[in-house]
Amino acid sequence: MTKRLLMIDDDPDFVAGIKSILDAAGFEVEVTYNPKDGLNALQTKQYDLLLLDIMMGRGAEGIMIARKLRKDAKLREMPVLIITGMREQIAFLFPGEPVHPRFVEVDELVEKPVEPKLLIEKVNSLIQTAEARKAGKK
Amino acid sequence: MDSAPRILIIDDEEVVIDSCTQILRGSGYQLATATDGTRGLKLVQEFHPDLVFVDLKMPGISGFDVLEKIHEIDATIVSVVITGFATVGSAVDAMKKGAYDFLPKPFTPDEFRMIAHRGLERRKLVLETIALRREKELLREQFASIVSHELKAPLGAVQQNLFALEFELSGALNEEQKEKMERIKVRIDELLKLINSWLRVISVDINKLKEGFQQIPITTPLSSALESMAPYAARKNIEIVTTISDGLRPVTGDSLSLAEVFVNIISNAIKYSPDNTKVSVKAEEKGSNLLVSIQDSGVGISKEDLPHIFDGFYRGKSGQAMSGHGIGLAVSRQITEAHNGSIAVESELGKGTIFVVSLPVEITKTL
Repeated sequence: MTKRLLMIDDDPDFVAGIKSILDAAGFEVEVTYNPKDGLNALQTKQYDLLLLDIMMGRGAEGIMIARKLRKDAKLREMPVLIITGMREQIAFLFPGEPVHPRFVEVDELVEKPVEPKLLIEKVNSLIQTAEARKAGKK
Repeated sequence: MDSAPRILIIDDEEVVIDSCTQILRGSGYQLATATDGTRGLKLVQEFHPDLVFVDLKMPGISGFDVLEKIHEIDATIVSVVITGFATVGSAVDAMKKGAYDFLPKPFTPDEFRMIAHRGLERRKLVLETIALRREKELLREQFASIVSHELKAPLGAVQQNLFALEFELSGALNEEQKEKMERIKVRIDELLKLINSWLRVISVDINKLKEGFQQIPITTPLSSALESMAPYAARKNIEIVTTISDGLRPVTGDSLSLAEVFVNIISNAIKYSPDNTKVSVKAEEKGSNLLVSIQDSGVGISKEDLPHIFDGFYRGKSGQAMSGHGIGLAVSRQITEAHNGSIAVESELGKGTIFVVSLPVEITKTL
């Protein structure tokens, strides 16, 4: 079955560069360009994975989404691939923590820009791990 | 201090308060007075003085305690102690505790005016310094955010689309086209790295690294640096010869930033080496230091450039494109110094360069 992904990122050009790679790799990618539409989509539809930008709008609004996901019993299980260009700022937001501060229980972080091979690898492995965990729980 | 400067006088002798009030009348200051420390401190919070005169010898709370409390309430308030000639010694003690000046009793109107004036000047300077510091900090943050948003993000989007284009065209490009694609990618990648290192210099307080220091074997950062440099070396067919002595003691530090130091130096070594040569990386102990030396047989650094290579934003006078010797080495030195270490360099034009990073080893207490 085709995997459905949602991408939340406010840079349409960047999104285009990610989406076309994932399209070509056989994923179905939906896009929202702001956190509000993103949350809306997450609450109304089902996705196998979320691709999340951190620095959007007036600051680190992506973190707000990650925090909401963490509190949501259903969405907490969805794997998240954080794609960010802001390594330094993440270090600022979470001083003293490793570069990847684990926003959600099931996430990974890659830096912009992402090489196609790495992108597809991460997406696949996150989805597989999530599915294996789900199967294990049943 | 936009409005009239505010002066508070705390003294239990009415005559002192009266004469001070008299002297300052008509000089455009706002004045408040208190006859004991408790009331004085209350006024400090309500009246927000710029300058406070405090009598050291008062019944109730002592002048020293008042000084201390004022400092706790607002450290930018300038305080001057009033003291009899016989107790100049305690005035000195008060100044050691942060009082700016002292006013010996008895004093002439001119002396009082002068000390008040000086105190207010001091206050102005203190506030200006704070404002400037804040402005500098703001500029730094803004610059960092401009660099990231206005430069890094668009460049990242360009590179991402290039990745996508290449991915879609894989198989359709001939060798020459692939080469062009590769050139574009490499140059954009270099630009992105440059922006990252600017951001590093501007936005990261290297001294904060110390908070996360741990005991680590030098091989941790060194191996990770070597690993990330391997593709670059392979591209120029440069062999990296690694010699790591056995039984090296650990160092205290931050693995990620030490890896950054090694990456910076090794990547320079690769960049300035001709194809098909060797770069040697050696780790050994010498006395209480761990030395990591990185030696190349590349273009070398001229005598006149050598003293400046750690300066940051330095590009070399010898006219060579020295983009790699810009910020990377400056950051590397800062990181190394935050680890109580040092970097030394020796070089000869046309013969090559050797960098030696020296870090103190963890002294184990087994005697």
